[in-house]
Amino acid sequence: MSQSDQAHASADAHENHAGIAKYIYVFIALCVLTTASFCTYSDYWPFKEQVKITWAFMMAVSCTKAMLVILFFMHVKYEANWKYVLTVPAAFMSMFLILALVPDVGMRSHWFSEEAEQYMAEPRTTVKPVHRHGDTHPDNPQEHSSSGESH
Amino acid sequence: MVEALTHAAAHSGADHAGNGHASHVSLQYHPGLPIPNGKLIVWLFLSTEIMFFAGLIGTYIVLRFGAPTWPMPHEVHLSEPIGAFNTFVLICSSVTIVLALEAARASQSTSAKGWLLATLALGSVFLGVKMYEYNAKFAHGIYPWRPHSLIYEKADLNYAAAVRLRLEALKSQFDAEDSSLKAALDPEALETDSRVVTLREKLAVVDDEIAYEKKAEITAATDPLNAERHVALEDLADRIMPLVHDGGEEHGLNDAHEWLRLPIRIPGGNMWASTYFLLTGFHALHVLIGLIVFTLMIPMTLDVARAGFVENIGLYWHFVDLVWIFLFPLLYLF
Repeated sequence: MSQSDQAHASADAHENHAGIAKYIYVFIALCVLTTASFCTYSDYWPFKEQVKITWAFMMAVSCTKAMLVILFFMHVKYEANWKYVLTVPAAFMSMFLILALVPDVGMRSHWFSEEAEQYMAEPRTTVKPVHRHGDTHPDNPQEHSSSGESH
Repeated sequence: MVEALTHAAAHSGADHAGNGHASHVSLQYHPGLPIPNGKLIVWLFLSTEIMFFAGLIGTYIVLRFGAPTWPMPHEVHLSEPIGAFNTFVLICSSVTIVLALEAARASQSTSAKGWLLATLALGSVFLGVKMYEYNAKFAHGIYPWRPHSLIYEKADLNYAAAVRLRLEALKSQFDAEDSSLKAALDPEALETDSRVVTLREKLAVVDDEIAYEKKAEITAATDPLNAERHVALEDLADRIMPLVHDGGEEHGLNDAHEWLRLPIRIPGGNMWASTYFLLTGFHALHVLIGLIVFTLMIPMTLDVARAGFVENIGLYWHFVDLVWIFLFPLLYLF
């Protein structure tokens, strides 16, 4: 590990706090975390049906990965307090932006007009529909009234 | 505090570095933040970038969870393993650029250049995979805009009419080709010519589908109160490109005959295409800019005098990696 020794020597000389070994540990952690979030795609993932657990898990993994990259690769862990001046307001602005979008965009389907509903995609069922000829299918009532008008 | 100031002086350029400890008196009044100006500017830029991508990702989340429906990953030909591979590539490139910085700080210019080239190569792999993925979308008629996009939100009469128009256009095109071949070839050579054989096969597929489409459209249009109308239109769309219900990929007419390119029914597909191409497009643009800067750095001597520059481009590159860390689960796994 002569390269690592050299790095430590240079670390002393240049007040460099993070050694090569630390980067390797962070890299391994990032790979493990990526594999963990990819596991949600495999058949062995136990929460296939509870999508909200899956989403929360993936977001937690992503935030952990992001913190590892920010703290160690971007050296934010070793910076002075100016780091908060730049990052915290930006983070708050981002959150406010998303919250500001919720009433008009996130909840837009609460106020769709009947006309818009005629042309938009229907909410899908999670299981494969077994309806075929002869079955009674709960047809969209809008479709009855709009039948041939688009034609 | 004094330590921080000395740290700033050591990094603030060759003029200070040359004087060494002799300039310690002026350090007491060092203005501004204890970091070099270049690094400060990069961090200010990154804080605007945080808001830029937070806006894009936040809008995606809000649009997605407010949408009546959203496509399954396989319906829009997203491959999770490819996405995971690209995540791995970007993580590796983050490691290589940070190792380039360490080498530059130790004034090991050759080693720093090697890590820089590795970063450049990994970034290029990422963009190459991205191009492959985009190509797979385009090949299936998934574009963010018309007229290239073949996506329809639901199987209604509007959709059936679009299918009919495409089939009729294909039929008249093939008929024209058929008659020009007939004029050019001898009657006895006509039956064995490979062009004629493939053309006849294509015409047979088109005629078959025209008949099926007419039946579905007549069923749907003539009896609006009949429950059969919904089934007939859904079956028509399922024949062309079936929806994925159990995670596996299913194949329809569009997959069997690539030249067909009939309109496809993907519920929520248009909004998906807009957000996917916008998010990944802006991210790929950032990757591309990073790669251009890396290329410009190749002729430089990456010693300790350039360490600040390597650190700044490294900060930008880590941020690009950071964005992908969120994009991968949101786009591929949600």
